[in-house]
Amino acid sequence: MKIVVTVKLVPDPNAEKKIDAGSKRLVRTGIETVLNPYDEYAIEGALKIKESLGGDTTVTIFSMAPAASKEVLRKALAMGADDAVLLTDPALEGSDVRGTAYAMAQGIKQTGFDLVICGGLADDGSTGGVPGALAEYLGVPGFTNCRQVEVAGGTLKVQRETDSGYQVVSGPLPALVSVTMAIGEPRYASLKGIMGAKKKSIATLALAALSVDGAVGGDGAKTEVRAVAAPPVREKARVVEAPDGAAGARAIFDLLKEKKLV
Amino acid sequence: MRNVMIFAEHKAGQTRKVTFELATEARALADALGGTAQAVVLGKGAGELAQRLKAYPLDTVLVAEDPDVDAYLLDPVVDYLEAAAKAAGPSLILVPNTLYGRDVAGRLTARLNAGLAADVTQFNVEGGTVGCVAPKLGGAAITTCVFKNTDYGVVTVRPSAFSAQPGGAGAAIAPLEKPAGKTYAMKIEQEVEEASGEMGLEEAPVIVSGGRGLGGPEPFETLLKPLADALGGAVGATRAASDAGWVPYSLQIGQTGKTVSPQLYIACGISGAIQHKVGMRTAGTIVAINKDAAAPIGEFSDLLIVGDLFQVVPELTKLVKENASA
Ligand SMILES: Cc1cc2nc3c(=O)[nH]c(=O)nc-3n(C[C@H](O)[C@H](O)[C@H](O)COP(=O)(O)OP(=O)(O)OC[C@H]3O[C@@H](n4cnc5c(N)ncnc54)[C@H](O)[C@@H]3O)c2cc1C
Ligand SMILES: Nc1ncnc2c1ncn2[C@@H]1O[C@H](COP(=O)(O)O)[C@@H](O)[C@H]1O
Repeated sequence: MKIVVTVKLVPDPNAEKKIDAGSKRLVRTGIETVLNPYDEYAIEGALKIKESLGGDTTVTIFSMAPAASKEVLRKALAMGADDAVLLTDPALEGSDVRGTAYAMAQGIKQTGFDLVICGGLADDGSTGGVPGALAEYLGVPGFTNCRQVEVAGGTLKVQRETDSGYQVVSGPLPALVSVTMAIGEPRYASLKGIMGAKKKSIATLALAALSVDGAVGGDGAKTEVRAVAAPPVREKARVVEAPDGAAGARAIFDLLKEKKLV
Repeated sequence: MRNVMIFAEHKAGQTRKVTFELATEARALADALGGTAQAVVLGKGAGELAQRLKAYPLDTVLVAEDPDVDAYLLDPVVDYLEAAAKAAGPSLILVPNTLYGRDVAGRLTARLNAGLAADVTQFNVEGGTVGCVAPKLGGAAITTCVFKNTDYGVVTVRPSAFSAQPGGAGAAIAPLEKPAGKTYAMKIEQEVEEASGEMGLEEAPVIVSGGRGLGGPEPFETLLKPLADALGGAVGATRAASDAGWVPYSLQIGQTGKTVSPQLYIACGISGAIQHKVGMRTAGTIVAINKDAAAPIGEFSDLLIVGDLFQVVPELTKLVKENASA
């Protein structure tokens, strides 16, 4: 079975980020690029399935990102993925959710798959819209927000998180799933994994190699950021030393009264 | 884009406040654009919810009480919404920014070749163009986005960002025809409720949240829950707490968890790492209780109590309860 894991490359989640006032795009310079943290859970989910199935199951990492970030994918290979494909083309800059899902679908179809596994949310864009749109463009069932994924024969059985619990849902392969963090803590790359990753392949794919209909990137986008503003500033906290519980509670209660919150 | 359509997310007719917020805002948008405001309600209990929606200023509530909606995952809902949107013509489709809503939005974006504006908290309409205002990057920037080269705009709307106000002459209820020739592959075999009756974190007006400082699972139940109950709110947590298994992941707020903006956020034993900050910094009033006067949470709180949360929280619960019964 061929598993494809979608991994977005994002600016370091621990860094303060900003949007450029001119281009209205996220400033990515001067900040380290890393694997989207959520997608490490998707990789973990894929590796678990590979281990449970054994045999000739493979895990391919698929990312759409600028060519300069290529080597960042090495970490996913070190975790245990078999190879990686980077869809990269300057014409893809400024893609919105629809354009991203559409271009990725063309690339993933070309790569081939039985199961596509996505993370739940990208740390930077955070729309959560890509997995659903990608399932549509791939033309396969989209099982989203899964905390457990079982593959047996040609079918899939998942536990899918809902706002109030979970659902058990089943269906056929090929399919797409997105995972939640409950799928399991991502493994660390072992030393052997890191060494082995150096020899694994990261193929690049350009738009010219795909059948792409219509405009892509910023030109094909259906959304456009018109304005960017700074958030309202919050003044530094008033600090109250509370020698005992009652004093601390009183200070909070007074603020809640003042703000009409109680 | 002239018309506005809302997707009423519900379970067997039970819905959250956000549905009524969307209904109210849909009217304002439709008036500004000179179009109609409609709601789509699907599945078991749809008729019941449609009756409740009549109290809101919509033109039409489209209903399909189709068993397939509850038997199969997502596909029937997306099919109905696609059909309804195409029948309405160029329109704006409002969906709540919830786990389920985000999936619906992503799928519709592809079906309708639409733009997607995510996590919107405000709209401004100028000369027929809809500006969608949303806090991005965990509140570090506020962007206004517009749609272009498309007939459809799909918007995930942040719960609690708009107010819900009944009004209008009472919407007409109309049946929505089942799209023909569809087959469904994702079969829902079992539905398990783990937290029924609990308020969703995203729409709780007050959140009392705990981190590493709580030291274990018990204080979430014995300390935070009573305070949250007294304030009419919900309990949240940091990643450290959910990773340690003290609370379910569904309570996690921050980078890999939920983004919330309640009126009041009380952070107990939370240092204020950026991963947590991005999930809650747009809250109205932020109060922190921490032993460490230098904890980063002080940088983005209104009030930092330097003290022992195990002493402060029960005292505060007492004060709030006394006040409520006074
Ligand atoms: C601050 C900011 C705000 C934005 N707001 C919007 C908006 O409101 N509407 C809009 O249309 N676009 C928006 N964008 C653009 C959006 O980030 C890109 O279109 C992006 O390629 C996909 O959306 P996402 O980041 O929201 O991904 P999500 O939908 O949040 O990502 C979910 C999963 O999809 C997969 N995935 C997503 N992107 C890629 C990729 N490039 N390569 C591999 N896998 C991927 C990953 O598995 C990921 O975990 C925004 C971008 C930024 C930086
Ligand atoms: N040169 C590129 N090649 C492929 N994808 C890109 C490229 N530049 C940006 N992207 C992707 O396009 C989306 C929008 O990013 P940005 O252009 O930075 O707003 C993200 O998913 C990026 O990963």
